[in-house]
Amino acid sequence: MFLAALLSPANPEATPDAALVRRLLQKDVSAFEQLYDRHSRAVYSLVLRILKQGGTAEEVVQDVFLQLWRNAERYDESRGPFIPWLLTLARNRALDTLRLKSERQRRREEQTEQLPPVVAAPPEFEKQIDDKRRAEKVRTLMGFLSPQQRKAIELAYFEGLSHSEIAEALKEPLGTVKSWIRNGLLRLKEGLQAT
Amino acid sequence: MTNCEQFREMYEGYALGALDAAERNAFEAHLATGCPVCAKAVEEARSVVSQLAYLAPEAAPSDMLKGRLMKTIRAEAASAKGAAPAKTVVPIWLWAGVAALLLLTAYSEWNSVQLRNEIRQTNERTAALLQQRHDLEAQLGLAKREAAIMMDPTSVKVALTAMNPQMPALEAMWHSQMGIVLTGQRVPMPNGKRVLQLWLIPKAPGGKPMPSMTVRPDADGTLMLLVANPPEVMTETKALAITEEPEGGSLQPTTALAWVGGLS
Repeated sequence: MFLAALLSPANPEATPDAALVRRLLQKDVSAFEQLYDRHSRAVYSLVLRILKQGGTAEEVVQDVFLQLWRNAERYDESRGPFIPWLLTLARNRALDTLRLKSERQRRREEQTEQLPPVVAAPPEFEKQIDDKRRAEKVRTLMGFLSPQQRKAIELAYFEGLSHSEIAEALKEPLGTVKSWIRNGLLRLKEGLQAT
Repeated sequence: MTNCEQFREMYEGYALGALDAAERNAFEAHLATGCPVCAKAVEEARSVVSQLAYLAPEAAPSDMLKGRLMKTIRAEAASAKGAAPAKTVVPIWLWAGVAALLLLTAYSEWNSVQLRNEIRQTNERTAALLQQRHDLEAQLGLAKREAAIMMDPTSVKVALTAMNPQMPALEAMWHSQMGIVLTGQRVPMPNGKRVLQLWLIPKAPGGKPMPSMTVRPDADGTLMLLVANPPEVMTETKALAITEEPEGGSLQPTTALAWVGGLS
């Protein structure tokens, strides 16, 4: 029922992200500025949520967009839409920064500095709703999860904690935490696909 | 692919980056085999995970961030274009340089003409000033000579009486070496361009009047004439006379004598 309410007409884009990214390969400053204007708020919101410091968040956002400018060829439009790829890049950068600052997760320190892999083929919802409606939809869907599920998922996504670290933080069994996270994300997936 | 089953519960955790090191290494080793099922499942899980970004409270970066970023981007774009292979077209800066050179040349030529005109005008002004100085020096010389003649005790005074009793008398001072100075006051201006001409009347019987210089009184009637080189010496002259003559003077009097004064 709530999914029906989230349905929205298609959001025609005068200049699709993929086309703008292709222009980045030609060092088109105008294309870069359009991409920045379209997605900087979403990227900044995510990075700020992770780092909780505006100044540091802006540094990371700057780094993300500079990486986009300098390595635009790493985005393969045939493998998925642009914005999930960009948000994944931003999250990884933010978590790297958080890790460097806190030294809480040696696990992530072992990972190499790589741009994120391209995400899955675009679900239908990607093409149909804009950022704001998408945010509302995700929040609504997350609202249907249990508080423990939401907490576990948020610790993993925004804090970069592993299953074990989340179990320790929540003082819950490791298997329970894994189930919360997996089932919560599957339910979210189903909700997104239903729209 | 037969062992995909054991990884099915790892897709979401892997997409989140939440797997512990041992699980992650094992799963990545499996993915490295090229398993399409797991690869697709992971991509789908990542797509869902990426949506979690929208749980973050909405916030906007500062305008300064965009300003800094765009400045860097533009600089790098300009640098990238600058590093491109040489083009056959003439770069804009070269055109600008050529235009500047042409403008400079035109300006230099114009400036040169201006300078030449200025030099010519300066030379003309200098020549005029020199001429003016020369004239002033000449006038000064004449004035000195007039003063010397009039002040010298050896000069001979000649009173010229007007034939017309309404006319004022004139006076001449004649120095044997420096010449004759003729002066008068309230002298009426001759009609039109006519002038007053000085004549030297020789002592020799039957001698014709010797024509001398002409003069016109100034606006207030003052008459002043210096004859530096009289046509006749004093000792051979009987009298001085003045007639009214056409402009430029005459070789012999054409009108009746207006003033006459004998040398004593």
